[in-house]
Amino acid sequence: MNNPILVAANLQKSFADLAVVKNVSLSLDEGEFVSLVGKSGSGKTTLLSLLSSLELPTSGTVSLCGKDIIKASESELALFRRANIGFIFQSFHLIPTLTAWENVAAPLFPEPMEQRIRRERAVKLLEEMQLGHRLEHLPSALSGGEKQRVAIARALINNPRIIFADEPTGNLDSQTGQSIMETLHKVNKEQKLTILMVTHDNELAGNADRTLTMQDGVIQ
Amino acid sequence: MQLISVWREIRLRWRRHFTAILGLSIGLCLLLLLNALSNAYKEATKIPLQDVGADISIQRNGDVPEELNGVVFSCSAVTIQHHEIEAIRNMAGVRSVAQAVLLWVFQDDQFAMVLGIEPESTLGPGRLKNYMVEGRYLTNGKEALLDESFAREQGLTVGDSVAVAGQSFSVVGLVAASQAPKMVVAHIYIPLDEAQAMATVSEGVQKVSPFSSQDANVLFLTADQEAIPALSASLSEVMGKDTAISTPDTFLRKLGTMFALSDRFSAAVGLIILVVTFLLVFKTVAGGIHERAREIAVFKCIGWTNGNIRKQIVSETLAQCLLAAAIGTALAVIASWLLSLHTLDIMIPWEMAPTPHFLPGGGEPVFRTVHLPVQLSLPLIGIAFALSLGLGAIISLFCTNRISKIKPSEVLRHE
Repeated sequence: MNNPILVAANLQKSFADLAVVKNVSLSLDEGEFVSLVGKSGSGKTTLLSLLSSLELPTSGTVSLCGKDIIKASESELALFRRANIGFIFQSFHLIPTLTAWENVAAPLFPEPMEQRIRRERAVKLLEEMQLGHRLEHLPSALSGGEKQRVAIARALINNPRIIFADEPTGNLDSQTGQSIMETLHKVNKEQKLTILMVTHDNELAGNADRTLTMQDGVIQ
Repeated sequence: MQLISVWREIRLRWRRHFTAILGLSIGLCLLLLLNALSNAYKEATKIPLQDVGADISIQRNGDVPEELNGVVFSCSAVTIQHHEIEAIRNMAGVRSVAQAVLLWVFQDDQFAMVLGIEPESTLGPGRLKNYMVEGRYLTNGKEALLDESFAREQGLTVGDSVAVAGQSFSVVGLVAASQAPKMVVAHIYIPLDEAQAMATVSEGVQKVSPFSSQDANVLFLTADQEAIPALSASLSEVMGKDTAISTPDTFLRKLGTMFALSDRFSAAVGLIILVVTFLLVFKTVAGGIHERAREIAVFKCIGWTNGNIRKQIVSETLAQCLLAAAIGTALAVIASWLLSLHTLDIMIPWEMAPTPHFLPGGGEPVFRTVHLPVQLSLPLIGIAFALSLGLGAIISLFCTNRISKIKPSEVLRHE
């Protein structure tokens, strides 16, 4: 199988005179679980934001799900992310004023659909994440592991084609982190979802289909 | 947009929104109250004339009687000629005119204020019908109504006769004149044509102010409300300088500082309130967007467009403003009820209730005490809501321009 979902060529990103990402080219196949490792400051988070359309590169091209994201407008990119991409962050980034199910359904809020359908979809995902009993709880009432599972459910609500995970276990203890990794592997296998995971943990990275190592803004 | 998340944003982050909501509520409450208070004073000043069913009263000032003997006119109410009355009746804006003749009658070492009234009129002295305590109301002929206190002093009752300037009148009823409007207080009430005839033959009257049988010396007018100011000016032209034309404005001018404060400065105070509340809401919305930059970035990451986020923030701000308008209106309703318990003494000019100085209380000012009719009108409340929502819409639309500058990658920088 060689069906690329993400193709980046000659990506460069500089902040003032500082080049953070230097001439990176890579390709991810559909359904592939790829980990991106590197030391702190190596440029892996910046690369993730370039590949996921959160930031524009100084030069180079990115084709994601067949779309040239460099040429797209901000509004087009937002709609594109809503349809194709899921994000999981180290600090979860749940909306503190929304309940667990509302956080999961948040990507659907701008969509014209009945609230009942939004809720049904969110509840189904939360139940799959063993959080059926936490639907109406605010993030402040959830543990770290529960918050991250809510975040994973939020990333999956739109049936994305690719998930970008930035240190998804970074704020969790090793046991909870392991559980989260199992969940990610499960969705990768069962839903054939492409996952690009940034981590500094070589052991976690070893469980991926492929590992990319970054150093000083360059993929080794 | 998601109303539930709008509500939860306000409820869970109430500290952030509290100051703006409270400030806006108080601002709107003050705006409503100032306006209602100003209107209340204007309404209150209509009451003395409304008591006699009139919008305008007219009297002409003249000379003091040469002798306090027989039938004379008070210096505050001398002849208004028939042709003047007809001219007034035909003026634009005038709906109806009631005439009266006020006489001071000195006879046998006694004094009586006698008011000649139109028995069929409900306007002006016609309101006396509401103060009958015994007998029946006046009809044309040699009939008289007596003030019940005066009747008691004189030992008269219904069915007796009372002498006025040598003429005998049959007492057909007693009225509680002390409770009646001050402007129509008298001891004896007789039909207008009898009073006119009495004044026509009185030397004391004719010496000071020539009077013919169809003249009067007090007029009560009803008029179109919007025409009253212009009518007042026209009446002054027709009647001349020495005429007391009383309109609600006459009483308004006598109210002094409270009204002046609430009326003159209401626009200035309103503007200040508006600016302060504008800044408060602006600070809250702009501060909120700044504090929620990461949250906004998360929304962008998960696929919300700038328009989606703007809509959400505008909805939140409008909800705040709606809440503030509701609280402000509720506060204003309570405050206006409390203010309506406050009484106001409206001074009735001596000319309009001319009790001679030699009678008890004759030199003292006469007041009409009224409860301030402070009421919030629905259009006013509507304006307050519209103002609040308009303010919220303008501020939130302006502040949400900043949203486009927040990059979704912001969220990763906070990791």
